[in-house]
Amino acid sequence: MTDQPTNAEISSEPPTRTSKVMTPEEAVSTLIPERSASLWVGGMHMHNVPMALVRECVRQGKRFETLYAGPSYSLAAELLIGAGLVDRIICAYIGFEHLGLAPTFRRVVESGAQKPQIVDVEAGSLTMALQAGAWDQPFVALPPGVENTSLPKASPDYYKQVSDPFTRRKYLAVEAIRPSVALVHCQQADEYGNGLFKGSPFHDQLLAMAADTVLMQVEAVIDNNQILKYPAQTAIPAFRTTAVVPVTFGCHPTSSHRYYNYDDVHLRLYLKAAATQQGFEDYLRTYVLSIVDQEEYMRRVQNQEWIGEI
Amino acid sequence: MSDDYKPVLRAGSDPVAFFRYPGAGEGAAYSRGHVMAAAMSRHLRDGELVFMGANSLIPMAATRLAQLTHAPNLTLMAGASGGVNTLLDPLAPSSGDYANLVAEAVLPFPDVLMLLTGGRADVFFAGGLQIDRRGNVNLAYIGPATKPRLRGPGSAAIPWAQRAKRIILYTTSHDRRVFVPKVSFVSLPGWPEGGKTEAGGKPGLVVTPLAVMDFTSGGEMRLQSVHPGATLEEVRENTGFDLVMPPGEIPTTPEPTTEEMQLMRQFDLDGLLTIVVQ
Repeated sequence: MTDQPTNAEISSEPPTRTSKVMTPEEAVSTLIPERSASLWVGGMHMHNVPMALVRECVRQGKRFETLYAGPSYSLAAELLIGAGLVDRIICAYIGFEHLGLAPTFRRVVESGAQKPQIVDVEAGSLTMALQAGAWDQPFVALPPGVENTSLPKASPDYYKQVSDPFTRRKYLAVEAIRPSVALVHCQQADEYGNGLFKGSPFHDQLLAMAADTVLMQVEAVIDNNQILKYPAQTAIPAFRTTAVVPVTFGCHPTSSHRYYNYDDVHLRLYLKAAATQQGFEDYLRTYVLSIVDQEEYMRRVQNQEWIGEI
Repeated sequence: MSDDYKPVLRAGSDPVAFFRYPGAGEGAAYSRGHVMAAAMSRHLRDGELVFMGANSLIPMAATRLAQLTHAPNLTLMAGASGGVNTLLDPLAPSSGDYANLVAEAVLPFPDVLMLLTGGRADVFFAGGLQIDRRGNVNLAYIGPATKPRLRGPGSAAIPWAQRAKRIILYTTSHDRRVFVPKVSFVSLPGWPEGGKTEAGGKPGLVVTPLAVMDFTSGGEMRLQSVHPGATLEEVRENTGFDLVMPPGEIPTTPEPTTEEMQLMRQFDLDGLLTIVVQ
């Protein structure tokens, strides 16, 4: 009986549940240390990438020892690499799909720079490793195939050979991954962090299960009643979400499924600018470092469009 | 659209409505993009499960075209979007596009990869920075690892194309930078040298803006047909190794039929197939 609350302890007012809503500035400054072991950014190619959070990390100069660049990164990797904030990249894909190769990634790697170190991998093992991380398995054995490629020789610290204890056959294995920080985009969430996707979920549900800190950028904060009405829509439950960061057009210039398409005018502007180191630095200063908030960012994006300097 | 749909940034950034690209739908009755899609389509069979990766505009059109012509039970996995049997309503340039979710199912991407690595795919469409005479594909880098001449995006999911029964290679630029004697990095293995055997699916077909190639039983790339409007000399000049020639006269790739063109125009509202090959 002593475990039961006494009448005096039960207040007449219901306790208040804590809102996790924060600004990008607040979330990044309070929840991400100056130096983290690893970062994984959600979304795919030029879709659903929480760019406002990425820009804020770059603006605040947050450093990450490892960036897991998969299944497919575009501008997020470019900004982090160009700003010199990552030491090592586990790289499955960094590029702009039909718009072209990644200019800053190219320039840095083709210059022979020691940092960041590039570890070439593929999207399948990276996903299995993330899943293993969520399950807290130590490593995961891969289906056959990768041993026929150049990957195991190119990345011997990532791919290790193991012997199947049941058949004695040899397989490649990779270590489990638990990212320290995950940045994900949900179209909507309630203030507690129950997030849902209005389009493709990509990797982001799995990512939220595996990462230690999950910053969730959203287009709109919806009422908890709406979450309760359609619980099967909730892809990321609140207890996995560290902060909810509402930013309108926050994925720009990538898309937010159902809300807006990617801005290929701006992406082409970036690709043209970043063709030179000076151009990249100008872009970084104009659209990231000197930006105070999202409104200011969008104003500059729109101004650029009206000037038509593309 | 539902009530949560918001105003868009600018014309062309609407999540489902696209703008027409300059030059699209003008000029000739059909373009190289249409010839490639139609050629790929004829190699797909009814009932197959077809996967594709990033930048897969032509394979996506080809797969949908196959469904609408001879393969109604074929399944299209629309790359990064996770869309299953996407209707191409309309055909979109980016694989992860919201437009690809006009579909029968939307799978989280880990599930798409799981089905691929799990060996469920019949066909995988793969492209790359470099393709060599044995059908090896490179998406990683050209030159030494520590200071490459060209850093590509990375191998993405294409090493797992081996888990599909058949692999179709494609490129939108048929030139000597792409078709090299030997790739500098193997992202996707082709036919092994020296009569060695290797488990896993191997490339069976290569479709380019100039020609269709297949492979000999010894694993050498062989010319199958030259597209209408292209010449054998053009193919030879733009290939960095000697292709095996088929016996007799070199066939011409069939033109897309009137029906095929009609179907492609119906789902390609933006005329992307007209401009995809520059």
